[in-house]
Amino acid sequence: MPALRWQPIVTLLLSIYGLGASIYLTITHFEPKALACVTTSTFNCEKVTQSPQSEIFGIPVAMLGLAFFVPMLVLCLPAAWRSAQRWVHLARLILSITGVGMIIYLISAELFVIKAICLWCSSVHIATLLLFIIIATASPIVLAPGYAEVETVPADGALS
Amino acid sequence: MADKPKSSGTGGNTPKPKPGGSGGQSAKDQSRAASRPVAAKGPKGGNTPKGGGNTPRGGKPVAGGTGPKGSRTGVYIAWGAVGLVIVVIAALFIVNATKSNTKDLSYTPVTPAPAQVVHDVTTIPLSTWNKVGVSSSQVSKPTPVSGQPPMSINGKSPAMLYYGAEYCPYCAAERWAMAAALARFGTWSNLQITASSHTDVDADTHTFSFHGASLDSPYIHFVGVEQYTNIPNSTGYTNLQNPTKEEAQILTKYSSSKYLPTGQSSSNGSISFPFVDINNGLLFSGASYDPQVLAGLSWTDISGGLSDPTNPVTQVILTTGNYMSAGICQATHGQPGSVCTSSGVQAAAKALGISAS
Repeated sequence: MPALRWQPIVTLLLSIYGLGASIYLTITHFEPKALACVTTSTFNCEKVTQSPQSEIFGIPVAMLGLAFFVPMLVLCLPAAWRSAQRWVHLARLILSITGVGMIIYLISAELFVIKAICLWCSSVHIATLLLFIIIATASPIVLAPGYAEVETVPADGALS
Repeated sequence: MADKPKSSGTGGNTPKPKPGGSGGQSAKDQSRAASRPVAAKGPKGGNTPKGGGNTPRGGKPVAGGTGPKGSRTGVYIAWGAVGLVIVVIAALFIVNATKSNTKDLSYTPVTPAPAQVVHDVTTIPLSTWNKVGVSSSQVSKPTPVSGQPPMSINGKSPAMLYYGAEYCPYCAAERWAMAAALARFGTWSNLQITASSHTDVDADTHTFSFHGASLDSPYIHFVGVEQYTNIPNSTGYTNLQNPTKEEAQILTKYSSSKYLPTGQSSSNGSISFPFVDINNGLLFSGASYDPQVLAGLSWTDISGGLSDPTNPVTQVILTTGNYMSAGICQATHGQPGSVCTSSGVQAAAKALGISAS
């Protein structure tokens, strides 16, 4: 079974980026003039962020992004990746599955309903997709029984 | 680590392990092995001093306790899920790209207007015009302009210029009012019917085309320019008719916030389809009413209701028509009196602050 090497730091960086972008998109949802984005016939951030699909049950999608990335950032801290608590790894996996389900819905809305693509939103979608790929493929390791119980084997010299 | 025992010579015996030893390990090795969780099996045969314990991995996570079969299944499931998600997202983009490439190229052809439709539009009872007046609150008022010279096109004055396109749904709505209002001042010939774009907003709004149509009137010279057809091409719609130099000068002059303040012009200070200039005294830029009110109605549905002043579609068409009539009456100095002194036209003139007599 391969060891986790780069996954904790990469997922942490992706979560930090996603959180930052979600904060920015939440601000621009309420202040559309603050939105800096390329506008062409295909790309139009304002059209997306001001569309009826930009809210779900009255809650801005950008705020749902915040609600996703805050716990994701915590769950992707190196200490959380090293945790011996199985539920921590399960929670991270379930959250990433929820996130990828949400981006499939949002991409569908952009392509088929709004008919415009928001570059900022797309960057968050890519971060969410990468998080899902990394977390899903790391899950067989971190969810294996006994993970972290045998992980801190000291180097040879430690006991000599 | 345990030392590999040296052979004493070919054909000799393998040295026996020391009593109490494990596979030839030293006391230090035995102590280390006892202190670690051992996942791997120890050396086989006991006498072979290979291995003798785990290889230490300085602090890095390792998996333990899962058999190779179980962990392999987990990896397959994980990569299967990742593959599925990537396939779904790729499929969304592929379907969208395919959909974009199969552009709807259908359109409603221009055909001669049925006699019944022309009759209904051109013979609206005066009582209906007057009952409607300017009663519809769904109609935007046009913009009066003062101090400009009367319009002259091809040496004929007073004149009225319409600039629109057959694909345009707002023009489709405006033409019903224009056809009805102008019929009070003259006789139409070669009126044709068509419909707006099948893919634009308010798709397939049924209407007339003024391309090739003419108004025979002793009072006003009407010029209609349909810039584009409703036939889609790679860049939009095929070109139909360009304004003449004289007409273009009028369009350029009034394409300004000086004449079309924000709120009147949908494009903030420039003209938009449809644009109607009645003798440089009354300007219409953009639709006077929402084409949505005509949604799903055929030409005969619309024209057949025009004698009913309680019909909501009739009310928006005739309210717009009364504003146009008031503008024309201003241009003709109240001619003909039967139209210009009617209560509907007078109500429109009063609402616009212009004189229709």
